[in-house]
Amino acid sequence: MKAFLVAVAAALVLATAASFLLGENQRFAYQAFATSGARVSDPGTNLVGPRWTGDIKEPGKAGHHKAEAGS
Amino acid sequence: MRRRLTSIALLAATLALTAPAVAQVRAPDGAPNPTASSVNEEMLFKQDPKIHGRISIPNATAANLIQPQGREWREFREAWLPWIGGLVVLGMLAALGLFYFTRGRIRLEHSEESGRKILRFNSFERFSHWMTATCFIVLSLSGLNYIFGKRLLMPLIGPEAFATLAQYGKYAHIYLAWPFMLGVLFMLVLWIKDNIPGKIDWIWLKQGGGLLGDAHPSAGRFNAGQKMVFWMVVGFGLAMGATGIMMIFPFAVTDINGMQIMQVIHSLIGVVFIAGILAHIYIGSLGMEGAYDAMGSGEVDLAWAKVHHDLWVKEQQAKTASGPQLGRGQVPAE
Repeated sequence: MKAFLVAVAAALVLATAASFLLGENQRFAYQAFATSGARVSDPGTNLVGPRWTGDIKEPGKAGHHKAEAGS
Repeated sequence: MRRRLTSIALLAATLALTAPAVAQVRAPDGAPNPTASSVNEEMLFKQDPKIHGRISIPNATAANLIQPQGREWREFREAWLPWIGGLVVLGMLAALGLFYFTRGRIRLEHSEESGRKILRFNSFERFSHWMTATCFIVLSLSGLNYIFGKRLLMPLIGPEAFATLAQYGKYAHIYLAWPFMLGVLFMLVLWIKDNIPGKIDWIWLKQGGGLLGDAHPSAGRFNAGQKMVFWMVVGFGLAMGATGIMMIFPFAVTDINGMQIMQVIHSLIGVVFIAGILAHIYIGSLGMEGAYDAMGSGEVDLAWAKVHHDLWVKEQQAKTASGPQLGRGQVPAE
């Protein structure tokens, strides 16, 4: 049982270390896939902007989207 | 007059020469088709298997416009893979269920050595096994989620919960792959010397490993069945690692065609790997009494060891004088 628990703990530690190491090589999509000319501003963590709520009202019920883009 | 006749002859010759060209720019129904002789998809594919455009954004791979192999890959991913995966995994579960209900659990044969223990796997061996095993279970479930999640799970829990689960499953798959690969390398180094195939393995296989009759064929530390599991784990583990790394680092080693081929290999090996490990889990737990102790406490019943790994027990008995195999609460295996 002790070997099992140590193994699970080691797997979690190694996985966490891997997540940090892999994260070092990651860039946001707006940084990796667009030039500065195409970036309207810093859009946050995704291309729809930091104030995106994901709450889209159906077209029949509302004339506009509640969610707003970053800029 | 002569000049006029010459002009008419030249005009007729010009018309005769251009007539086929005029016919080419007409559609089958006779309507004019000005783009009929322009560059088309078929002509472009004769020059290159993919059609590229020109872009100015940093993502150079976005220049790829059409790649027909992607359609074949999508056909495999969406149509063939769920069926192959389902048949392989469920087929193995059905076979194990059938085996259990016909052959039953292989019972421990009691003898005068019953109750005495012998160390089968030391702490580091068990650590390596369980680190690999726990990672494998999470990798399997998150891997199966890639194939079946949207078909089976999403209708049950809804798209929002499924999206969250799939996202965390993806993190688990990418990050736990590293301790899994490390565990496979540990096991390779630890056990390769005991897993070299030999003549004794052929005899073991011919006797069905003792499953088909009452006799127990001789075996060393690992029998032929365990050696097959070992080589499956090492071979499939390394192959899964190599193909997985190529997908974790897209375009670092290969292009989009190569990554699609890697995904096909990764998924096909993955489902066969899961089926193989299901059989391993069965025989190491429910299928055989006493087998789990080897990886549970590390110590097995001496009677069990003598029945299933007689040559290994003799080897350990020869070493007993110097006592390297004796741990706490153990007795000499003799």
